[in-house]
Amino acid sequence: MNAAQVLNGIALGSLLMVLSSGLAMIYGLRGVTNFAHGALYMSGAYIAYSVSLHVSFWLALVVVPVALALIGVVLELVFFRPLQNRSHIELGLVTFGLALIAERVVVLIWGEKTLSVDPPPGLRGTTSLFGVEYPTFRLAIIVAAVVMAVALVTWLRRTRTGLYIRAASQDLETAGIMGIDVNRISLIVVSLGAALAGLAGALAAPYVSLDPGMGDTFLIIVLIVVVVGGVGSIAGAMISGMALGIIQTLTTVWSPSVAVVVPYVALVVVLLWRPQGLAGRRV
Amino acid sequence: MAVFEARGLSVRYGAVLANSDVDVSLESGQVHGVIGPNGAGKSTFIDALSGRKRPSAGQVVLDGEDITGRSVRWRRSHGISRSFQRTSIFSSMTVGRQLEMVARRNDEPDLAGIIDTLGLGEVVDRVCGEIAYGTQRSVDLAIALIGRPRVVLLDEPCAGLVADEAVRMLQHVRELCRERNVAALLVEHDVDGVFRTCDVITVLDLGKVLSSGAPDQVRADPNVIRAYLGSAA
Amino acid sequence: MTATTLPEVSQSNAEVPAGRRSRRGLVFGLTVAVVVAAVGYAVPYVIKDTYTMSLAVEAALLGLLALGIGFLARHLGLISLGHTSFFGGAAYAVGVGVNHYGWSMTQSFAFGVLVGTALSLVMGVLVVRASGMGFLMLTLALSQALYQLCVQTSFRPLTGAYDGLLISFRPDDTFAGVNASDLQNPGLFWPIVWIVLIVCVVAVWLLGRSPFGTILEGVRENEERMRFSNYNTFRPRLAAFVLSGLVASLGGALFALNGAYVSPDILGFSRAGDSLIAAMVGGLGSLIGPLLGTGLYVWGEAHLNTGGNLHLYTGIALIVVLVFLPGGVTGTLQRIWRRLRKERPGMGGRR
Repeated sequence: MNAAQVLNGIALGSLLMVLSSGLAMIYGLRGVTNFAHGALYMSGAYIAYSVSLHVSFWLALVVVPVALALIGVVLELVFFRPLQNRSHIELGLVTFGLALIAERVVVLIWGEKTLSVDPPPGLRGTTSLFGVEYPTFRLAIIVAAVVMAVALVTWLRRTRTGLYIRAASQDLETAGIMGIDVNRISLIVVSLGAALAGLAGALAAPYVSLDPGMGDTFLIIVLIVVVVGGVGSIAGAMISGMALGIIQTLTTVWSPSVAVVVPYVALVVVLLWRPQGLAGRRV
Repeated sequence: MAVFEARGLSVRYGAVLANSDVDVSLESGQVHGVIGPNGAGKSTFIDALSGRKRPSAGQVVLDGEDITGRSVRWRRSHGISRSFQRTSIFSSMTVGRQLEMVARRNDEPDLAGIIDTLGLGEVVDRVCGEIAYGTQRSVDLAIALIGRPRVVLLDEPCAGLVADEAVRMLQHVRELCRERNVAALLVEHDVDGVFRTCDVITVLDLGKVLSSGAPDQVRADPNVIRAYLGSAA
Repeated sequence: MTATTLPEVSQSNAEVPAGRRSRRGLVFGLTVAVVVAAVGYAVPYVIKDTYTMSLAVEAALLGLLALGIGFLARHLGLISLGHTSFFGGAAYAVGVGVNHYGWSMTQSFAFGVLVGTALSLVMGVLVVRASGMGFLMLTLALSQALYQLCVQTSFRPLTGAYDGLLISFRPDDTFAGVNASDLQNPGLFWPIVWIVLIVCVVAVWLLGRSPFGTILEGVRENEERMRFSNYNTFRPRLAAFVLSGLVASLGGALFALNGAYVSPDILGFSRAGDSLIAAMVGGLGSLIGPLLGTGLYVWGEAHLNTGGNLHLYTGIALIVVLVFLPGGVTGTLQRIWRRLRKERPGMGGRR
């Protein structure tokens, strides 16, 4: 185990942290297990690819969250809001269908071939850290993710909207009765969650290569992270995302076969030991 | 000797003590009524007796044996059954099918008798979710009575029933309990009904036993009048 | 309680009539099964084209998978993304039996079914106490864990990892009287899979009408009252799960015999989703709904997959069914049928 591997773990954990916070927020508020989250991440990465190619990566970091936020708005207005009285499974499966469509659309636009994005000038090359030469861009991912995490938590804890979100995540009905405009809050949360997923994709683009399967790969892991971290708990999701990233990367060094099953084992253990994980939090 | 007893039963919901040191004893063939204002802890009491909720203190005793830790299924298989305040039936099945299903598991020699007494003969082939609410309550009760349980805990069987339905329900309860020598606990809101139907009455208030004894005794108890009966009709 | 997307399920089960009528229904159903079986036998003589025949075989094999998924959904209201584990697991086990242990096809088939069913027992024990979304997540997670294990390079000698498993049947070996190379001929394989499919459909149908089926419905409807009526609710659930796994395993083992090749994709997320979507589009509330859906899926895979767009259509179909046509194709047809019956003069609607 050396510093580079630990940093890799933290880098992966950072991406998981950003992705899972979005998913946890959407679940906490709308009760939707967003199977389309992987597709949102993928879309972010592919849009970042195009924007980087034609303009610059920095612009991509702005365009992607905005574009994904708009997609989030559509998700909320067209699907989550009208269907809010359906069961969780139905909503989850709807997002599953959306994911299938979205992933196909991405391939239709960008093709099947694996694509790669270069890190922006300024973040290329390596930096000397803890006795290793570590890719600078990955450090940037870590920094960006931590900044985002701090900003998100601060926003949730210090602002009024953040308070409403936390209240609604805890008990939607009571929050509504107490006058919180649940629809408005949901709109904010869903578009923010989508934007975060897209941002994760954009950040990941120079790190991982872009292929049509990238959404699915991350989806299951992120779903597991959110469940393990505690349903509706955004901080919990973020912490477990970082933890899983580190644990998985380090376990891979020791035994790749075992590392691969780690998230699944974690999910089974959590769901059996604290089944209120996903099944019971909301009615 | 009492068939079924609660001894010093206390039940806690977080910081709230829903039942506090409650003693109740049931005898075969007797209907023991439990009344009290809302929040008195009546439903919690049945939950604790039936195994649905674990008491924080005290014992549940069957034939002198402490069964406090026993599961819901164990209790049912040893003759302790209950009905539910919020009707708990199988909406998608016909009345006949669900009663047969329960009868298969709990040897019931005379299912037709139960169906007859409760007036369910006409709805046997009807889907339970589609019959009148009052009839659904009777089905709920029937399920509890199948298999000759020795102890039956009735949680507001008259809830949601119209006046004459409620009267009939209590008559059925009394008849069936006498017939089958059942020790019955009747938790009810309808005070007059309880006084008419029960042999012994316990009054709960804020989780504690306020008074207990024969109906006339309880009716005359100044504590009860002050706390409860005085305000009721 | 289970979160169910199947408002149609309660209705269709509620139509089960009592006593006398039910015996008539039994005879009628069995007669239909015999007739359908006989008709199905003739299919290879009608369809001379090998490609179409192979589609039919594929539909029948995947139909067994869908039947398993549908059984669980219909009687327990549980929606599973894990049944491809049993289908695929059984297929791999057949391959392992032949390649690794040198067993005959019949022995390997039995081994395959056994392994698939054992997998369903293991998964069932872990999964069956959950319901709704938690159940779905658990089945998904466990099935993907199995997929990940199968593609590990360390398991290459056993499973072939990402390349899949090529099964080398001995040329003189026979299964159900058909020799190894003929099994890969869809026309000759058809009678085998068709019979197994019909038998499983009838078995599942009878099971649903039996006291066991009633218990499952009771557990689905009101699990608490079942316990308060002295019923163990874990065991019937587990039994139902294992039975559904058994049916899926039969499909998988036959699949291996027919294809002589197992790709890890069969265990993957994509396949799991497809199998569930197919069953849902057909209609989880009826016995043949999942089979119908699988037929549509196989047809779609063959004719709508230009440029790999199949998932675009399955995604759209899923959303349309969920939002507008609950109960899938068969559920919608049932609703229309009921509405027509009500409007006939002189027919007081039984509903």
